Amino acid sequence: MNWDAFLAFVRGPLFQVALLIFIAGMAYRLFRVVFLGWRRDRVPASGSKAGGVAKSYAKGILIWPFIPWVRNTFRRNPVIYLGGGLFHLGLFTVIFLGTAHMLVWKSLLGFGWPTLPLPIVDLMAVVGITAMLVLLVFRLTNPVMKLITGPAEWLNWLFVFLPMITGYVLTHHLFFRYEVTFSLHMLAIDVMLIWIPFSRISHFMFYFFSRTIHGIEFGKRAVSP
Amino acid sequence: MQSQTAMNTFVKETGGWVAAQLEACTRCGMCAEACHFYQGTGNPEYTPVWKVELLRRAYEQRFSPFGKLKVALGISKPITDEDLQHWSTIIYEACTVCNKCALVCPMGIDLGTLIHDVRAATAEAGVVPADLMAAVNKQVEEGSPLGVTDDVFESRLEFVQDEWEVDLPIDKQGAETLVVFSSIEIMKFPANLAAIARILNAAGENWTLSTKAREVVNFGFYEGSHEHTKLFLSRVFEGAKELGVKRIVVTECGHAYDAMRWTSYNLMEVPKGIEITHIVALMGDYVRTGRIKLKKGAYNNGTITFHDACKIQRKGGHIKEPREILGVLAPESFKEMTPNREEAVCCGGGGGVIAIKEADPIRYAAFQLKINQMTAVGAKTVAMSCSNCRLQFLDGIQHFKYDVKVRGLAEMVAEALEEE
Repeated sequence: MNWDAFLAFVRGPLFQVALLIFIAGMAYRLFRVVFLGWRRDRVPASGSKAGGVAKSYAKGILIWPFIPWVRNTFRRNPVIYLGGGLFHLGLFTVIFLGTAHMLVWKSLLGFGWPTLPLPIVDLMAVVGITAMLVLLVFRLTNPVMKLITGPAEWLNWLFVFLPMITGYVLTHHLFFRYEVTFSLHMLAIDVMLIWIPFSRISHFMFYFFSRTIHGIEFGKRAVSP
Repeated sequence: MQSQTAMNTFVKETGGWVAAQLEACTRCGMCAEACHFYQGTGNPEYTPVWKVELLRRAYEQRFSPFGKLKVALGISKPITDEDLQHWSTIIYEACTVCNKCALVCPMGIDLGTLIHDVRAATAEAGVVPADLMAAVNKQVEEGSPLGVTDDVFESRLEFVQDEWEVDLPIDKQGAETLVVFSSIEIMKFPANLAAIARILNAAGENWTLSTKAREVVNFGFYEGSHEHTKLFLSRVFEGAKELGVKRIVVTECGHAYDAMRWTSYNLMEVPKGIEITHIVALMGDYVRTGRIKLKKGAYNNGTITFHDACKIQRKGGHIKEPREILGVLAPESFKEMTPNREEAVCCGGGGGVIAIKEADPIRYAAFQLKINQMTAVGAKTVAMSCSNCRLQFLDGIQHFKYDVKVRGLAEMVAEALEEE
């Protein structure tokens, strides 16, 4: 097999097609929800909806992820909080603050930004991968998780895990030739990009809907979201 | 057949508001630990997001191309009558629609409202637990799930006036405020009627009761049926319109308050210029503005705690008022349970659960959480502003032979009124 040609394919045409499917698919999902119709809320508010929305994001992004132990549900089930939180932290650090990834963003967006030293990014990658493995075991064994997990959820896990593990192997030059691991890493990313519009990984977009709705609902009742 | 009706309702209920939230769920399972029924029993089927499963399946099959493909391939199964039966027991018996799950969800999905949408479909399809349906039918026919007919209403009011020597103005034209009690108060806690009357009279409120709008309970809202919910709401609104009042005060009843204050506006035409509020808000207002004076420290003997009702505090927003009142009544002996306020643990009997005999075992299992909370603060008295919670507490402590005094906040306020 000619790995050089394969690499050129997966980081060239296939990547572009995957990116296109990703963007078009997500745009379709967005428009479908937006144009499904929104009934005007005629309930007179007791509190501020805007204030509720602001608090909703502050709590969801700035407070709970960093002091989860104050929550009763954390004490009852810390695995989801820690696993979920550390996975996202690892993922975001690697794809936004890793130098190699920043350069990809730069080529796509036209501008770059400062990045973290490799050892730190590498550590966060290990954290993210470990968290994913813990979450997998949790999903396989916990009765609630078994009940609410369908085939799509297993595929989600797989299609997110593959880019991460191949990326790790790539950075550390393990097992295979550089061209081989780079090809596999790019292939995994292409598959993931194509899969996202068909899956719940798309929650990164709908998060902003549900979090806003949450803020409005609690804010209008003058209750802290 | 039933499943077809349910499916149609799901489709009708699904707008952007519902769809966006269903799309946001990542199946993380965090909501399980928020649910008192899951915590009390460990049954994974009581996970809040699992209660919404039928709505999610309906949404996927009807609104997503991928879902349609999955149906064609036989991966996604159509909703059957058996499914409806099964989910009917989960959503009516193991859910009080308390919405604590919404606070725990990292995406902030308003799960309680979505579960109520599932109830709308099961109600439309006629798959509702028999006990609950009997109460709904009784309210349709007699005007009350607890048999408060015109005659009963009249005799109960007479009894209250004699027993507590208090004035209860009835059908008073030109009154500003209409007070609507729940049938639980009328039949089981008549002292609440007397207490609220004394508070309003002491505040010099121009108020009245109505024989037409005699009770605020809304079993249609428990059931999830829009038609019944509207019917019961309209009885109160008609009564209010006839008397020309400017304000409706819902007394110590949670679900009814949710239906009237937060749901009615999006369901039907609410008469204009009528404010809807809760007795706790009114009492808080009176205390703050000095319209009533309370004996300071009247309940300073023995630890007293406050149970937050899901529909009056978490969904109603009246979190500060009870604390302000208890701050006057029991500044030294008032102690909060943990968690409290909007994060409070539900009593386990709301949402119609207490009306369903089959739910008794899990209702008690959920109440165990409240017992643990009360024990942790060493409560001698537990106060609350919801009669449905109060029924559950009284039944629960009897079941567990637990020693605590269960009090309605209005009664405590009335007893501590400083006579001029």
